[in-house]
Amino acid sequence: MHIPDGFLNVATAASTYMVSAGGVGFALKEVGRKLGEKHIPLVGVTGAFIFAAQMLNFPIVGGTSGHLLGAALAAILLGPWTGLLVMSCVLLVQSLLFQDGGLLALGANVFNMGVVGCFVGYFVYRGVASLLRYSRKGILTASFVAAWGAVMAASIFCALELAISGTSPLKVALPAMAGFHALIGIGEGAITAAVLSFVLVTRRDLLELRKI
Amino acid sequence: MRHSFLDKYSQLHSPIHHLDPRVKLALSFAFILGVVTTPPTLWPAFVLYLILLWCLILISRLPPLFVLVRSLIIIPFVVVVAVFVPFFSGGGVAGSYSLGPWQVTVSHHGLMVLWNVVVKAWLSVQALILLSSTTRLPDLLRGMQGLGMPRVLIMILSFMYRYLFVLIDEVMRMRQARDSRNFGGKRLWQWKTIGSMAGSLFLRSYERGERVYMSMMARGFDGQVRSLRRLQLSYAEVCLGVACLFLVVAVNVVPRFAFPM
Repeated sequence: MHIPDGFLNVATAASTYMVSAGGVGFALKEVGRKLGEKHIPLVGVTGAFIFAAQMLNFPIVGGTSGHLLGAALAAILLGPWTGLLVMSCVLLVQSLLFQDGGLLALGANVFNMGVVGCFVGYFVYRGVASLLRYSRKGILTASFVAAWGAVMAASIFCALELAISGTSPLKVALPAMAGFHALIGIGEGAITAAVLSFVLVTRRDLLELRKI
Repeated sequence: MRHSFLDKYSQLHSPIHHLDPRVKLALSFAFILGVVTTPPTLWPAFVLYLILLWCLILISRLPPLFVLVRSLIIIPFVVVVAVFVPFFSGGGVAGSYSLGPWQVTVSHHGLMVLWNVVVKAWLSVQALILLSSTTRLPDLLRGMQGLGMPRVLIMILSFMYRYLFVLIDEVMRMRQARDSRNFGGKRLWQWKTIGSMAGSLFLRSYERGERVYMSMMARGFDGQVRSLRRLQLSYAEVCLGVACLFLVVAVNVVPRFAFPM
């Protein structure tokens, strides 16, 4: 879902850049105020974690494999603003080191996978988990649904941006992207739930930290 | 463990490698912006962009094959766009094919969209490869700070870059341990194992982050990182930067008048 340069027109790239830059700026202030300077190594190392976790491929039907996106996972574990910071750093480094996602399209990628992915993931998780009273099953179900929803929402915004830029026709591209990512999202959800079930067993206290 | 796939060619020596990172960043951004704003029908401009870019790539002594192979990373997205080409209508029919039961009609407009995307994405990704293979990431970050990115974000990114290698090592060791215990094939139950691996990776990273913070505190960390290396912009670098910028703008503007369509 990392959009390369050349797929978006300048208006779309510029407007998503502005939204993402505003979001990251606010996240920096918010996280810095609530966590103090402690957040600098924490966010950095968590960013490296998401980066490394994306190297763990999981099998999808038909011999293909996918890898974790991590937006919902970061948001559930650390909170939406911290998650946004983590994802923005990951996307920036991926663009610069691997050319995975373009420089001019970075704003759009941060918007899709950072802003949309983290906030959808976080609030879906909180909503579903509180309905199920934060039981073990509830937390796992909620994290699965949240991760699936985050991937879906990010892919829908990706399709919208491509359509606004005139790169693909909305009527066909939107259902195709959403349908494809509905499948990918199952893998994302399963891995996210498995990570949470591991954290629940080993360090439950981390899930009860104040989320920012 | 080896991570030679990261930052492989950024240690070479060439005029481009030694150029100030701020100049390189600003020029790459300007180049990509120039490519994206060029109308797709103006093909002479794209040829000129390609010549300009490859002059720089040859000066930088990057292996040409490496740049070409690396630029294939855009293919998945190009395929996605190519699949949707038959669904564009308008601009007259360019060709009609029957694929089994379906009659596929490709319009001129659809082909133009595909050409537009392929040429722009290909040029931009090569510019990005040139930038990132001639500059070490810490230098790029310093350049970004020089161009006005918030200091805290730069520090987070530096931390991330520092621990990236440690955690990639950790993943490689975990994978080795897993594979030596007969983890073959592709089955659905593997998801549970991969989830536990990611979970323990998270715990190790989180606890490492805490330890790093505490040892930084013990050494008197006050939120400031002091570096001995300073960026210095020489007169020649500024001139070179302005000259390249002028070329990009010229390639963007002049062909519109030279080849009116």
